[in-house]
Amino acid sequence: MGCGVTKSDQFHRQGKAVTTIKAAVLIQRWYRQYVARTEMRRRYTWHIFQSIEYSGEQAQIKLYNFLGYLMDNFTPSSNERNLISHIFRENEVCRDAEWERYFCYKNIEVPELYSGPHLTFPLTVEQATGLVEAFRDKRQLHSRYVLQLLLETWKLLRMLPNISRVSTCHSKEITICGDLHGQMEDLLLIFYKNGMPSLEKPYVFNGDFVDRGKDSIEILLILFSFLLLYPSELHLNRGNHEDHIVNLRYGFTREVLTKYKMHGKRILKLLQKIFSWLPLATVIDQKVLVLHGGISDCTDLSVLARVDRHNYVSALRPPKKRHQSAAGMSVDSDVDDEVWASNKLNQRRVSLTFPKPLGTRESFQNRSLQDFSNRVKVPVEEELEIRRRQAGLSGLFNSGFSSSQKNLNLSVSSDLSQESTDTNDVAKEEWKQILDLLWSDPMSQDGCVPNEVRGGGCYWGPDVTEDFLNRHNLQLIIRSHECKQDGYEFCHNRKVLTLFSASNYYDVGSNRGAYVKLGPDLVPYVVQYQASNMTRELTVRQSVGRTERSALKVLREQLFAHKSDLICAFQEFDNENKGLVSLNDWATALESVMHLGLPWRMLRSQLTCKTSDGMLDYQDWLNELAIKEPNMDHIDQSLLETLYRHRSTLETIFRIVDTDNSGFITMEDFRQTWKLLSVYLKMEITDEAISDLAVTIDKNQDGSIDIHEFMEAFRLTDKKSRLERGRSMFMGTTPDLVKLEGDPNI
Amino acid sequence: MAPKKPEPKKEAVKAFPEPEAAKEPDFDPHSIKIEFSADQIEEFKEAFQLFDRTPENQMKITYSQCGDVMRALGQNPTNAEVHRVLGRPKAEDMDSKLVDFETFLPMLQHVAQSKDQGTFEDFVEGLRVFDKEGNGTVMGAELRHVLATLGERMTEVEVDQLMGGQEDGNGCINYEAFVKHIMAG
Repeated sequence: MGCGVTKSDQFHRQGKAVTTIKAAVLIQRWYRQYVARTEMRRRYTWHIFQSIEYSGEQAQIKLYNFLGYLMDNFTPSSNERNLISHIFRENEVCRDAEWERYFCYKNIEVPELYSGPHLTFPLTVEQATGLVEAFRDKRQLHSRYVLQLLLETWKLLRMLPNISRVSTCHSKEITICGDLHGQMEDLLLIFYKNGMPSLEKPYVFNGDFVDRGKDSIEILLILFSFLLLYPSELHLNRGNHEDHIVNLRYGFTREVLTKYKMHGKRILKLLQKIFSWLPLATVIDQKVLVLHGGISDCTDLSVLARVDRHNYVSALRPPKKRHQSAAGMSVDSDVDDEVWASNKLNQRRVSLTFPKPLGTRESFQNRSLQDFSNRVKVPVEEELEIRRRQAGLSGLFNSGFSSSQKNLNLSVSSDLSQESTDTNDVAKEEWKQILDLLWSDPMSQDGCVPNEVRGGGCYWGPDVTEDFLNRHNLQLIIRSHECKQDGYEFCHNRKVLTLFSASNYYDVGSNRGAYVKLGPDLVPYVVQYQASNMTRELTVRQSVGRTERSALKVLREQLFAHKSDLICAFQEFDNENKGLVSLNDWATALESVMHLGLPWRMLRSQLTCKTSDGMLDYQDWLNELAIKEPNMDHIDQSLLETLYRHRSTLETIFRIVDTDNSGFITMEDFRQTWKLLSVYLKMEITDEAISDLAVTIDKNQDGSIDIHEFMEAFRLTDKKSRLERGRSMFMGTTPDLVKLEGDPNI
Repeated sequence: MAPKKPEPKKEAVKAFPEPEAAKEPDFDPHSIKIEFSADQIEEFKEAFQLFDRTPENQMKITYSQCGDVMRALGQNPTNAEVHRVLGRPKAEDMDSKLVDFETFLPMLQHVAQSKDQGTFEDFVEGLRVFDKEGNGTVMGAELRHVLATLGERMTEVEVDQLMGGQEDGNGCINYEAFVKHIMAG
């Protein structure tokens, strides 16, 4: 840079400047393209996870509906009925008075070797904070203390009302947290950022503390200890996952049984009771309602305040009815035949479908009104006719026809007293209120329609919110239940706030978590966070890439599971039988089978299909997705596919059948389970095929099947990504249970 | 080696404003013939829908999203080009006004036909401008400065995102590798 600037110098510099600007603009353009493409990938990855998650929930509810229906319609004498009955009742015959004895912890000894925390009751603050630290250091609480803590919690919860009423007077700010789903790291992060619960620091935890993540029991123990310490400052709302039947599928049951080999079952039983006693909602300053799922057009807080909430042990089962046993003792049992059958009939009319996807659905964001008329308005006579036919056709079950017909009789017969009909109606209404509260989701359109995607609760619109808030003189609903990118989302003119506190829920980098602080002005102040050091080190592009790979893997598994259906759909487009379809037809066929509302054309390049002249060889493509387990060759392909598709359900049932939690079931039980499933799936599965399958899995030929081995056989063998995979959507597995083999004394 | 001072360039910037705004006429959507295939159009619809955040899912996006959707579909317009095909809307309209798919398609077509896409070579050439020593590297600091002050400026956050992890111990960037990194996105 000399001082004598000649004209040619200046000219030269101007030329260089233009080039520089052009270069800058070029780089900037490319950068913006790269950002836009990353954003697009992020969005469709999200769609994939969410669609698959919800359809999994739906599948489970369908299964239970089906099993319940079988319960209604077949005689007590058949073996199959015993199995189903077992699934629902789980030997629940204890009387109230006996429970405390069953849960007694006093004779459980804590060995000297035990290095975890010791608890004494009543708890102190030091013990509670000590517990948090111990869990952070990956130590485990001894089952004696677990049971003791849970018992104290149970006693306390029984005294709490259905709806907690809280006030922000004394200038207190209340902190509200959403779903945690076993992700203790997030809870620790919240406590770190916001402080632990105390007299000055009230908290509301809005349900779904358990399932999916690997530290569900630790989260519960932390929350319960603070509850015992500060019962007026710490508030818990029940979520749809505080439900032992849901837990069977989504990992909590497995977690507890693995961590507590000796006393796990007892702990789970006690938790079942505790879950049913969790309050349903919290109201702050009489203006802000906090509940887990949402509302419907029927939701009535005065009804909810009155219900016997502990009767609703699981939202997937009918309410328990208290009646006099022969010995004159008060016994809790399921509301049986007379009341139950008609109850169930009405409930299930909307959801009684066999596992066929629900017709074409728009892209996931479009929750347009579904047409239910063909399903909802089936007249009773028609319904009975259908069941008679089904009862008659099934060769596997003895149809105790006359007794089932009696059960199906809806009109007030001489068998039903007036009183039990009233009970029936009330029970029905209450059950719906609770189901709606725990399972509903908001939608953008006005109105209120059943939530077919999840299989329970409703979709409710802004008009319903408006009406509800006015009727109850409220100004805001805070709910959780749905994972949100930013950890929170307002809707319905900012009258509904969704709050989700499990960051990286679908995979590392997928979303942030959030909590809300509410002061006397009742203006929500949102704080976001994202747990895990890993996230911070990854660039946006890297974390999107990881999540995307996860999602695509899950999606490929889904596609493989529907291979036969896909081939049929492709063949319809392939008139000349060349084994080729156009890309457009490929996308159309995929959506018609999968019903996930995904942008298939955009995903095409990721699902690796090579094309020539714009045509795709679909057989080739599907073979690429195949399971590569060599010793499965002699098993029928379609059976394999079915197994694969329903492996979550299969595992759930296996675990129920495995009553002593040994991880093994007998061949006989295995066959029984298969027979059940084959009816459910309307598939011909011969005894021979089942035996072949069992023999293959029963490697040591000892007549029992290792559940874990069985399920392992049906993963796609792609070892590297199996390790990478953060969380399996289907299995609800927690692959990092490695550490839990730890202390045998616990 | 000290980076060049920006002062001499400032005058140059004034003398050479971005060409597009002065020379090109207003964008006329009716003059555009759609040459995309039906398959391609279906794919564009998917992308469009992915970005649709209207509460009623009306299949509409805001003006400010148009550029993003075009880029997500593999196009590479400058902000000025996007602004032009949108009909040069006012700043306050960018986030509020909506565009439906039929209106969007001719804009996308026009952008797709633009000759000025910028290839890998153009890109490398552009970066070579900053390669003082002619050794295949540029100073990270200088590049950051340029991107934040010249052309269609980027924010500091954006610059960080772009350049994060690209500089070596000396603050230098191998620009061919850098270009591959960008193009791979």
